Amino acid sequence: MNVRIISANLVVKLLSFYREKTTMFFTFAFPIILILVFGTIFMSQDSMEYRLSVQDLDQTNSSAESIKTLAKKGKFKITSVDPAVDAVQYVRDSKVNLLLVVPRGYAASLMQRIIFNDYSSSVTITYVYDPSSSSVQTKMQILNAALAGINQGMSGRAPFIRSAEKSILTKKYRFIEFFVPGIIAMSIMTMSLFGTVDSDTELRQKGVIRKLSTTPITRTDWILSNVLYQFILAVISTLAMLLVSYAVFDVNLHIDAWLPVFILLDVFAFVGTGMILTRFVKEAQSAAAASNAISYPMMFLAGSFFPIELMPGLLQTIAKKLPLYYVNEGLRASMVFEDNMAALRSAAIIGVYAAVVFILGIMATKWEENQ
Amino acid sequence: MTRETEYAIEVDRLTKRYGDFPAVNDISFSVSKGEVFAFLGPNGAGKTSTVEIIETIRMPTSGKVTLLGMDVTKKKHEIVHRIGVLPQAFSSFDRITVRETLQYYSRLFSVKTDLDGLIELVNLGDKTKEQYKNLSGGLKQRLGIAIALVNDPEVVFLDEPTTGLDPLARHEVWEVLLGLKKKGKTVFLTTHYMEEAELLADTVAIISKGKIIAMGSPGELIEDNANYLALTLRSVDEKVLEIVQKLGFGTVPDKHKNIRIRVEQTYDVQKILQAIKDAGARYRSLDVRRPNLEEVFLKLTGEALREELPEMEAE
Ligand SMILES: Nc1ncnc2c1ncn2[C@@H]1O[C@H](COP(=O)(O)OP(=O)(O)OP(=O)(O)O)[C@@H](O)[C@H]1O
Ligand SMILES: [Mg+2]
Repeated sequence: MNVRIISANLVVKLLSFYREKTTMFFTFAFPIILILVFGTIFMSQDSMEYRLSVQDLDQTNSSAESIKTLAKKGKFKITSVDPAVDAVQYVRDSKVNLLLVVPRGYAASLMQRIIFNDYSSSVTITYVYDPSSSSVQTKMQILNAALAGINQGMSGRAPFIRSAEKSILTKKYRFIEFFVPGIIAMSIMTMSLFGTVDSDTELRQKGVIRKLSTTPITRTDWILSNVLYQFILAVISTLAMLLVSYAVFDVNLHIDAWLPVFILLDVFAFVGTGMILTRFVKEAQSAAAASNAISYPMMFLAGSFFPIELMPGLLQTIAKKLPLYYVNEGLRASMVFEDNMAALRSAAIIGVYAAVVFILGIMATKWEENQ
Repeated sequence: MTRETEYAIEVDRLTKRYGDFPAVNDISFSVSKGEVFAFLGPNGAGKTSTVEIIETIRMPTSGKVTLLGMDVTKKKHEIVHRIGVLPQAFSSFDRITVRETLQYYSRLFSVKTDLDGLIELVNLGDKTKEQYKNLSGGLKQRLGIAIALVNDPEVVFLDEPTTGLDPLARHEVWEVLLGLKKKGKTVFLTTHYMEEAELLADTVAIISKGKIIAMGSPGELIEDNANYLALTLRSVDEKVLEIVQKLGFGTVPDKHKNIRIRVEQTYDVQKILQAIKDAGARYRSLDVRRPNLEEVFLKLTGEALREELPEMEAE
């Protein structure tokens, strides 16, 4: 190992990358675009405030007051609908999936109950809804709970059974906070894999490697400078992704020493995979195809974009055999759930994978054409 | 263990097989220190196979190759510091400039290189900030030669340094190589251009199908193998061929109405021209020249060095 040679190599690699402006742009911009697009799509789902349309047929102070209470308890944002329109027609025509109808005589019935203690007095609030909408059920559940709460309050007696919520996750997270670590893991994988396979096959094809084999540079120097180069790109890219995520989505991600650890393991694992691939592909074109064949299934199966729990059992079993899955798990354990033990477990698994693949990669890398 | 010898390179009964195919077949030769040695041969003759074995990047099948007193199969790490290589079809990093490329290779050897002197030697002074991919073929080759010299090597290997270049670019590379020759470097050159070998080499080895078929200085080779004159008559009419054949000379006509005549001495030329004049036959032009390595090669192998005929090349 020769530090001067490694740094000379690193300089050439970084300069080449920097001067290839389109490649540089896409390398860094692509994951950021993914974050912006998906972050925006799922932003509405993250904000827990639902819109609720209400048609108040009673038009009294007390009906208005009750609607306000309901809005507060269920965290709804209320849209009032003109009492003159037909409720069913309204839901059908507008994009609204649920309309709450407060009946005429609401105030009168309420008075009957509270002032005259007439416990048989009641009102019926109607949900006019579109069952084809996916979020309407959740909305109705929240409404039911809010209404039950109001009823309970009116009875004046303390409830016997109360409930408390306790999430198994140490904290609530938003989709974007789940998504960003996945994209970090994925883009480091693609950068390291494609970077290694592309540049190695290109330089081999052009005969640069043959020239280098008549100089004092060794295979080890060459491989180490590539790892270092990929690590630097990975760090820059990760910082850019995090910066955008903080600035645009105000994410709440925990950053500690695990982040560089997982970046490094991700780099080693996929530079190693790339070196093994390089051994088997001779031309630049098949090199790209081979890298794609490895990275695409990995991206979709290993839970880069969504939790693997959403997939059928068989696919989950496969996912757990993929190295990228453990980078995802590890990054999320450290950045989202702040669970050091889980991060350590994932780091151990991906670490073993990286070591094995990297050693195989070194063995697979032919330097001299000693044939 | 370095043995001091007068030879830079000694090759003893070298054979290189790919599978069963003997690309290099039991060849022996030696290259003295300070000489320019050329391997002249057509495509597939085994030039690159031989050179790359001496450069330590291919393994011989059998035989012994010694470079500067060291066995090439055992002393790779020492040897690479003392040789400079321009591989066949040389290429470098597209986006790196001429000066940066030289700096890079200089760092690989961990040596201080007089970059400016080197740039001047290959005449790339006004291209130092140009990226490799923007250089023309000739400039790329000259950069490649400069790279081969960054470590001030004792032996320089140039594998087909001018193949694929236009005549002007080729002459510019030759200028550089003549400069190198003047500096007294040991140079191992491979080529399939006989002009190149004739112009640059002290010793030429003609290689064909993995065998060295003749070796010596260009003058010796011609003397030994083609001691005659070649008279070419262009655009002749039908009678000329008949007249010349009647005089008893060997003739080679071609489809462009040119005939080539082999004559032993200048007097024969006069005799032929006189006979043509007397018969009232015609030709457009003529030339007489000493044969070159091209003819030597033709004679020794029965094959042309390249596809084109030498006359076509001269025109
Ligand atoms: N790695 C290899 N595997 C199999 N055959 C090879 C290999 N390298 C060269 N050959 C064959 O060996 C023969 C000699 O090749 P070599 O490259 O040494 O010739 P050359 O004289 O350098 O030719 P050229 O002028 O085309 O460069 C050719 O027939 C070639 O096809
Ligand atoms: Mg060759």
